[in-house]
This record gives sequence, C-alpha cells and structure tokens, in this order.
Amino acid sequence: MFDWVVKNVGFLKHVPLLPHIFDSGLKVATLLHNKNIPDYIDEIESEVRTWPNTTVHAHKFGGIQFNNNNRELGHIHGNGLLDILLSREQKAVLMKKYPVQDHHIFKNSGWISFWIKTPQDRQTAIELLRFAYTSK
Amino acid sequence: MATYSQPANRIVYGILVANLVAIVLVGAGKYLVTYLEGYNTGNGSGIFIFSSFVIVPLIMGAVSAWYWHPLQLKTRAYIGWSAISTLVACAASFIFLKEGVICLLIVSPLILVFTVTGALLARMLYNRKNNTLNSSLAGLVVMILLADTFSSHKNLQLVSDTIVVNAPIEKVWPHVVEYKPITLKENYWLFKIGMPSPVQSTVDGYQAGAGRKCIFSNGYVFDEKMVVYKPNDELTFDIISQPHDPEIMGHIDIVRGQFILKDNGDGTTTVIGNSWYKLYVFPGWYFNLWSASITRNVHLRVMEHIKLLSEDRV
Repeated sequence: MFDWVVKNVGFLKHVPLLPHIFDSGLKVATLLHNKNIPDYIDEIESEVRTWPNTTVHAHKFGGIQFNNNNRELGHIHGNGLLDILLSREQKAVLMKKYPVQDHHIFKNSGWISFWIKTPQDRQTAIELLRFAYTSK
Repeated sequence: MATYSQPANRIVYGILVANLVAIVLVGAGKYLVTYLEGYNTGNGSGIFIFSSFVIVPLIMGAVSAWYWHPLQLKTRAYIGWSAISTLVACAASFIFLKEGVICLLIVSPLILVFTVTGALLARMLYNRKNNTLNSSLAGLVVMILLADTFSSHKNLQLVSDTIVVNAPIEKVWPHVVEYKPITLKENYWLFKIGMPSPVQSTVDGYQAGAGRKCIFSNGYVFDEKMVVYKPNDELTFDIISQPHDPEIMGHIDIVRGQFILKDNGDGTTTVIGNSWYKLYVFPGWYFNLWSASITRNVHLRVMEHIKLLSEDRV
C-alpha cells in the first residue's frame, strides 16, 4: 500500500497537510497490524532527543524528522520505515554491516532505508541514526 | 478530590472539550452555509462543508493534545484516545443529530484519521513551545474554515451503468417501467449490513406525467414522476419525494433517474441506467466515492433483475 501510494500518487506530497494525513493513516493501520511499532518509534525519538543539539520535527512528507543543528539526520514514516541521508561511501559501509536497503525512492543516492519491526530493529535504527549523528 | 491536573481528568477533558468545540464549529458552520447558499435541503438538515469533516477533526485533535501533551503519552495512546474521541463524536451525532449508523460508519474513518493527525501534529508543536508558529497555524486553520464557509457548495453528480440483456428491446421495456419484487441475494456489503436496497417498482399509468414508485427493502418509497416516456427507447423520471431516512436525510437528494434502451440488432438490448444526485456533504471527493458506489449497486441490482425477468430466468 505504502509503495503503491508513493509510486502512483506521490506527487500529492506537495499538497499541504496531505502527507501528514497519509502518515496518520499509516500509523493507525500499523497499530492494528503490529501494535509495537509505534512504541519503537517513540523510544527511538526519546533516545535521539537526548543527544546534544538534536531536535524533532514533523517531516515535510509525513513522519517525524530528526535534525542535528538544523540539518536532517533522517526521518521515520508512520509505518516504521527509517530513511537516513549519508554519503555514498558511508552508505556502502553501512550496507555491509547492517540489513539496510537503498532508499525506497532514490535508489542511486546516499539515502538508505531500514524497516523497524522488532526490538532488535529499534536498536539498529538508533545505531544508524547515531552513525549519521557522529559523522556530521 | 479529583482535580483538572490529574492524568485521567486531563484525558477526559481532552475528549469532552474537543467534542464541545466540534459541536459549536459544525453547528455554526452548517447553519451559516445553509443560510448563505440561499436554500435548504428540504428537511432542515443543512449542508456539511468539508471543514466539518477535515478542519474540525484537526482542531479536535489539537484541542485534545493541548490537554494530553503534559502527560507525555505514547503515540499509540494518542491514537487510542483519539479513536475514543471519534466514537464520542459519532455517538453524539447519532443521539442529537439523528444521524444514521451507516452514515457514521462511512464518516468515522475520515474523522479518526484527521483527529489523529491534528493530535500528533499539535503534540509536536506544543512540545516545541514555539508560540509564534502555533499562533500562525491556528490563524491559518481559522482562515481555511472561513474561506470554506463562504465558498459555494454545489455538487451535482451523475452515475451511469450499462448492462446487456439477451432479449429483444420490446421484451425488456415493460420490466424497465415496472418490475415485480427482486428476489436476488444481496451481494453488496452495505446492503448486507442493513442499508435499504431496491425491491420493486410500480407505476400508476403508462405515459409521461404518470407516477412511479421505487420501493426499498425497509418499506421506504421514492415517489417519482415520469417526465419522458418513449416505449422501447427512454424512460426518465424526476424524484418528487424521498424517504426521511437518517442515512440520507439532508446529505443527498436523488434528483432524477433514467433508463435508455438500445437495440443491438442481434436480439440483445443494451440498457443504460443513469442517476443524478446532489450531495450536501463535503469533501465531495470522499463522500462521492461512497454515494457513487451505493448508487452503482442500486443500479446493478435493479438492472440485473430486469435482465433476469427479460431473459425469463425468474
């Protein structure tokens, strides 16, 4: 469903509020499907908030965005999909060490995507964000 | 003694105040728009603008989050309590506005998603403690609400369906004009859960100007007047009165119905069923998805029955 929407009606993300409404729908659907995922996202948010100079905002295309000194570290969509912006070299390093994927849209960029579904995934997501945080 | 600052009270206040604000905004908006449009829907129910189902739930969520955000609730608690708030809104609509259950079933996903969006976005804004940003957003929401209230609200829709009957046109025509009770099993999920479905049609004459009745499964009757009566060609009828059913009252007016028959020249007939209706609930894109689906299934149930009668399969 998420992939279909992103692929076919993704252009609507520029309509004000619409991505946030879609993300809320994702959160509700995710809660019905796996009630722990919203908790994992909350726990990741709580952890990142403790790092100096980090802030949390609504991501412009839905979800929550983590910033370090007003520069984006990454964002998590309501269905537990974490996207992080890295350099291509950093991406290559992380792809060998962690089960991360090319970004769900920008496959040939420095962006990576990672699905948060289990407690172990939550820990991995924190490590990935920490990597982005310490390398910027 | 229980106080406002206790967590349980904050949650309850968040739900009740949000619903009170919604009642005031929806009530004021509905009657103001109905007055501004210069007409009413014939039964005093008025027009529900898109703000009633989009902006107001966003405000409801923001009001709830105002009470809840000091509690540091988890996201799933926000979603859960927003769902309770949506249920309270639906229950209040059922009791005080006499809304129908299926109507509320249709509207509740919309209200839930917008309420959750309002609550989660507002939680983030309140936690940032940026009063300038909060005031700007509140101003923007009020502007959208006012712009919507003072905009035109006309929404006339047409639904058209086609079926091919394996019978000559002169055998199909009598069943288009009137038909005996439908015995087909319900296969549309809204009909299965209680939405009335068409059962029978009767006429009191066979010429333009004569009356026609479309009878539904719960006994409701749509009174119609045939305005075009061209045997083996076209039957068009205007709906002169529709039942005061809470599921449709004030939300939709079926204006006109039409059957057009075309001889395919091979012993078969193409039957085209058209219905025109006015919607009084917005956003039109959402509610039209439902009303078009319901109208289409009314058409198909009747046209399938006409096909079976014409093909001597009943």
